[in-house]
Amino acid sequence: MSAPHVHSTELDLVFGALADATRRGILAHVARHDTASVNDLVALFDLSQPAISKHLKVLEHAGLVHRDRDGQLRPVRLNAAPMQAAASWLGQYEHHWVQRLDALAVYVAKLQRERATTTTTKPTPKKQKTTKTKKKKTTNRKDAHDRH
Amino acid sequence: MTATEITTSIKDRTATLKRVFDAPAALLFEVHSTPEHMKQWWGPQQWPLTTCEMEFRTGGAFRFAMTGPGGEKGPPFGGRYLEVTPNTKIVYDNGFLDDPKQETMVVTLTFDERADGTTVLTSHTVFASVSMAEEHIGQGFADGTASSLDNLAKYLADRRR
Repeated sequence: MSAPHVHSTELDLVFGALADATRRGILAHVARHDTASVNDLVALFDLSQPAISKHLKVLEHAGLVHRDRDGQLRPVRLNAAPMQAAASWLGQYEHHWVQRLDALAVYVAKLQRERATTTTTKPTPKKQKTTKTKKKKTTNRKDAHDRH
Repeated sequence: MTATEITTSIKDRTATLKRVFDAPAALLFEVHSTPEHMKQWWGPQQWPLTTCEMEFRTGGAFRFAMTGPGGEKGPPFGGRYLEVTPNTKIVYDNGFLDDPKQETMVVTLTFDERADGTTVLTSHTVFASVSMAEEHIGQGFADGTASSLDNLAKYLADRRR
């Protein structure tokens, strides 16, 4: 399973909204200018006001922009969160699995280290440290060839 | 770090990941068996597992949920353990729990310990439908679409700061 979790219906709305070039253009414009009015957009895209309003409704419904309730111009503002969720959602299955397996490897290695140090007395078979300090007497050591 | 080998097929509705661990199968199995362990590694870094209830036995249910970096709660998901064979195999189905119409995926984890003490962990997922596979694997959107969307998202996010 993967995350961040976004419900399909929300994703459908976001992808549906982004499927149109004019709407992507509106988003980019709003992102650049922080805010835009319907009139700005009408002039910019050379579309009728109802056409722009229709596009804005789709973007608004997908949660990609919001419009101030007060004021006659009702400026349009960007809400980037659903976009980010949608983008990170794409192909994240593999990404999250790989990330998860990486995390698993790190965690397991940590556990192995911890358990190796708590079960003392027995030398760990694999990871034996070769210390540079001189050992005076290591009577029980099997690897006698280590000593000079 | 060992690389993860990935094979996907939208047509077959499958995604398979394979990775070699420098650890015995018993330990890899163990860290899948309790919430205490699972919370340590299972969730993505930004979205740790905050709900983790599991009856870890064949037929047992599990319920997970994650919490995002801003404290946002992810919807609960989970399913049942279809098979739990100690140190060898875990099979479970998984889907969103708050949406009965959501399709589920079936994940099979196999732990294959080799003579040298390393273990090959294979995660094999079968999605309920081709469209679900397409959504999860992401190829249905074509690489270009995915990366340009990504760029657009990044661009828009940067503009916000």
